[in-house]
Amino acid sequence: MPSALPRWKAYAYSLPTLLLPGLSHWLLGRRGRAVAFFCIVGATFSVGLLLHGALFPFHAPNWLYRLGAVAEMGLGAPYALGRIVGLGRLDMRDAADLMFGYGNTFLVSAGLMNMLLMMDAFDIAVGRKE
Amino acid sequence: MLNDHFLSLVVFSLLVALFFAVLNHRDSRGFWKSVGKTMAWMVAGSLLFAYFMLWTAR
Repeated sequence: MPSALPRWKAYAYSLPTLLLPGLSHWLLGRRGRAVAFFCIVGATFSVGLLLHGALFPFHAPNWLYRLGAVAEMGLGAPYALGRIVGLGRLDMRDAADLMFGYGNTFLVSAGLMNMLLMMDAFDIAVGRKE
Repeated sequence: MLNDHFLSLVVFSLLVALFFAVLNHRDSRGFWKSVGKTMAWMVAGSLLFAYFMLWTAR
């Protein structure tokens, strides 16, 4: 892999992470880190769902949930698939669940982690980072 | 599963600490040092903040 790619290619390399966490790093030749990121983001996402966290829709009833939706959209395909198959459906009765807040924290964090992975892949691709 | 607040906090801190350690560290020593430090700050900080909230709620 060349040390510095043109910007348009770097943007292109940062996008596959939206399909699968860590995929950009895999394509950039950082295979060990790619597997680690996949496991960490995957575990954060899974624990969030196990704790009854919600994959917020963008038209959620309040602005805090909408902000959560923006963060969770950083997950890309897992968020979209989860929404399509009905995982983490937002049910206002769940808001009283003891672990609802924790589940959301895990899911929002997984989305934000994935956004950071995109930026990291971009930095690697333009040669700003090893 | 994971109905314990403290256990959830520890699991969350561990995942976040591992994420940032993988992101920022290449050497094994720096990696584990970063995991330990981040986890300790997150767990201790959250407990301190929780006690602060308990104290101000009285």
